[in-house]
Amino acid sequence: MHSLWIEFLDHVNYIGAACLFVVGLYTVITHSNLIKKIIGINIMETSVFLLFVSIGFVSGAKPPILAVGEPGGFFVNPLPSALILTGIVVGVAITVYGLSMVIQIHKEYGTIELDEIVETEKEIKTQIFRKQDDTSHV
Amino acid sequence: MFSIHLPVIVLLIPLVTALIIPVIADRNSALLQFVVGSAMILATLLVAIALSGTLRGEIFTYYFGDWLPGLGIEFIINVFSGFMSLLVLFMATLILFYAFKDISHDLPEHLIPYYYTLIFLMLFAMIGMIYTNDLFNLYVFMEILSLTSCAIVSIKRTGKNLLASIKYLMQGTIGSVSILMGIAFIYMASGHLNISTIAETMPAIWAAHPQNVLIALGFMLTGFGIKAAVFPLHTWLPDAHSTAPTPSSALLSGLVVKIYLFAMMKVMFQVIGIDILREVGIQFFLVLFAVAGMIMGSVFAIGQKDLKRILAYSSVAQIGYIMLGIALASPSGLNAAFFHVVSHALMKGALFLSAGAIIYNTGKRNVDDFNGIGYRMPFSMTVFTIAAFGMIGIPGVSGFISKWYLSMAVMEGGHPWILLVILFSSFLNSMYYLPIVIKGFLCAECEGSPNVMGRDSLPASMWIPMAIMAFLIILFGLFPQLIMNITGQMPHLFL
Repeated sequence: MHSLWIEFLDHVNYIGAACLFVVGLYTVITHSNLIKKIIGINIMETSVFLLFVSIGFVSGAKPPILAVGEPGGFFVNPLPSALILTGIVVGVAITVYGLSMVIQIHKEYGTIELDEIVETEKEIKTQIFRKQDDTSHV
Repeated sequence: MFSIHLPVIVLLIPLVTALIIPVIADRNSALLQFVVGSAMILATLLVAIALSGTLRGEIFTYYFGDWLPGLGIEFIINVFSGFMSLLVLFMATLILFYAFKDISHDLPEHLIPYYYTLIFLMLFAMIGMIYTNDLFNLYVFMEILSLTSCAIVSIKRTGKNLLASIKYLMQGTIGSVSILMGIAFIYMASGHLNISTIAETMPAIWAAHPQNVLIALGFMLTGFGIKAAVFPLHTWLPDAHSTAPTPSSALLSGLVVKIYLFAMMKVMFQVIGIDILREVGIQFFLVLFAVAGMIMGSVFAIGQKDLKRILAYSSVAQIGYIMLGIALASPSGLNAAFFHVVSHALMKGALFLSAGAIIYNTGKRNVDDFNGIGYRMPFSMTVFTIAAFGMIGIPGVSGFISKWYLSMAVMEGGHPWILLVILFSSFLNSMYYLPIVIKGFLCAECEGSPNVMGRDSLPASMWIPMAIMAFLIILFGLFPQLIMNITGQMPHLFL
C-alpha cells in the first residue's frame, strides 16, 4: 500500500496531465457554449504543457545554471520548458483567434450557444425552401 | 554550387512578402498584384533550381544557428521535399493568379491585401512543414498552417463561414494537441526531437519502452487523421472547403490536406519506422480506414446539391486513395500515393477553379440549375469535364494512371479485394461527376436556345491557370513517366 502511494506521488504529474486532457476533451465535445469549448481546448493544451515540462524533471538534480568553479553533476533538462514557452504562445494565438470568431458569431446570430445557432440555420433553410415553393407555384 | 542558405531563402520569400503586403496595402492593386506575382514566381524558380540539384544527387541541409545536428533545428531539401515544395508553390502560383480577379467577387476591397498576407503565411508554413526535420518545429509550423487555413475560410465573414471555420479550429486544435502529446511521449523516451536522431535510437526505445511508442503512435495518427480528414475524422472538411472563397477552397483541398499526410508519413516511416509498424500490425487498420473513406466520401457526395460541397466530399474520397497508398507501406504503394498527390492537386485545383468560374459568371452553385451551362461557359465546363474524367479514372487523364498504379500496388501488397473497392469507388465517382457534365453539355430543354459555343467571358488571369491545369492533367495522363521518374526516387527516403 505504502509503495503504491509512493508510486502515485512519483507520477502525480503524469496522472494529472491525463486527467486534464480528458476533462478538456470532454468539455470541448459536450458543451454547446462556444466560449466553454475554447476553455476546454485551453485545458487540453495545459495538460500537454504539464506533461512536457514534467519530462524535463530529474529528481535531486540542480537547476541548469553553470556557475564558475562549481562542479558539474546532474541538471534538470531546460529544453522542455523552452519548448513549452513556444507552445504557450501558440495556445494564446489559437485562443485569441477563437474568441474573435465567437465575437463575430455573436454579431451574426445573437447567441454563442451552438445548438441555438444550428436551429436558426435550419429555420433560414426552411424559409428559403418555402420561398422557392411559393415562386414555383406562382 | 548554391549558397548553403537556400532552404531558408525559399522559406523567407513568402514570409517577407507576407510582411510587405500590409505596408503597400493602401496603394493601387496593380502594385500589390506585381509583388504577389513576382514573389511567387521567384520562389517557384528557386525551388525548381533546388529540385534540379537534388535530382543530380545533391541534398541541401541547413542547421539553424549552426547548432550541431541533433541539437538544433534542421532543414532538409531532398528529392521528396524539393518536389513537393515545387508542387505547392506551382499550384499556389496558378491559384493566386486566378485569385487576382476572382477574389474581389468574394471579399470586400479592404480585406483583399490581408487575404494575400494569410495565403503567404500559409505557404510559409506548408514549405516549412515539408522541409523540417525536427518534431517540435513541425508542430509549430503546423499550428501556423492550421490558424491561417482557418482564417482564409473565415475571412468571408458570413454566418456559415464563421461556423465552418470555428468547427475547423476546434477539431484542428484537438488534432494538434494530440500530436503534441505524441511528440511529448516520444521525447520522454528518446530525449531527442530531431527526426533522424530519434530514428537511430528507435530500436532501443522500442525494446525498453514499447508503451511510449505505442501511445505516441496512437496520439499522432489520430491527430494527423483529424488534420488530414481521414474518413471517420473528416466532418470539418466539407463545411470548411465548400464555404471558403474559391481560391481558398482550391488551396485547402488541393494542397493543405496533403501536407498533413506528408507529416503523418514522416512520423510513421521516418520517426517510428516500418519495422515497428509491421510488428504492431497497424497497416491493416489504416487500409480499412482508407477503404471506408474511398466509399463513404463518394456516397456522401452523391447526396449533395451544392457544387463546391460535392467537390469537398470528393476530397474525402480522394484522401482515402492517398491514404491507401501510404497504408500499403510498399515502394509501389508510396509511389502511387505520391503520384496521386500530384494528380489530385491538379484535378481538384482545376475542378474548384472551374466551379469558381461558373459561380463567378452565373452565380449558380446548385447542380440542378446547371442545365445547358456548357453552352454559356464552354471553356470552364471543358476544364471541369477533363478534371472530372480524371477523378473517375478514364484512360488518358492523370487520375487513371494513379488508380492503375494503386491497383498494381494493391495486388503486390496481397489485398486483391481492394481492387473491387477501387472499381466500386470509381463507379460512385462517376455517379456524381457525370450527371453534372451531362447536364452541362446535353440539355434536353435547351433545344431552341442559341447554340453558340463561343468563349466564356472570363478574364485572362482566370482562364489561363485553368488551361494550364487541364493541359497538365492530360500531359501527365499520357506521359506519366514525367512524374513517375521523380516520385520513383522518393519511397526509399521513407522505407
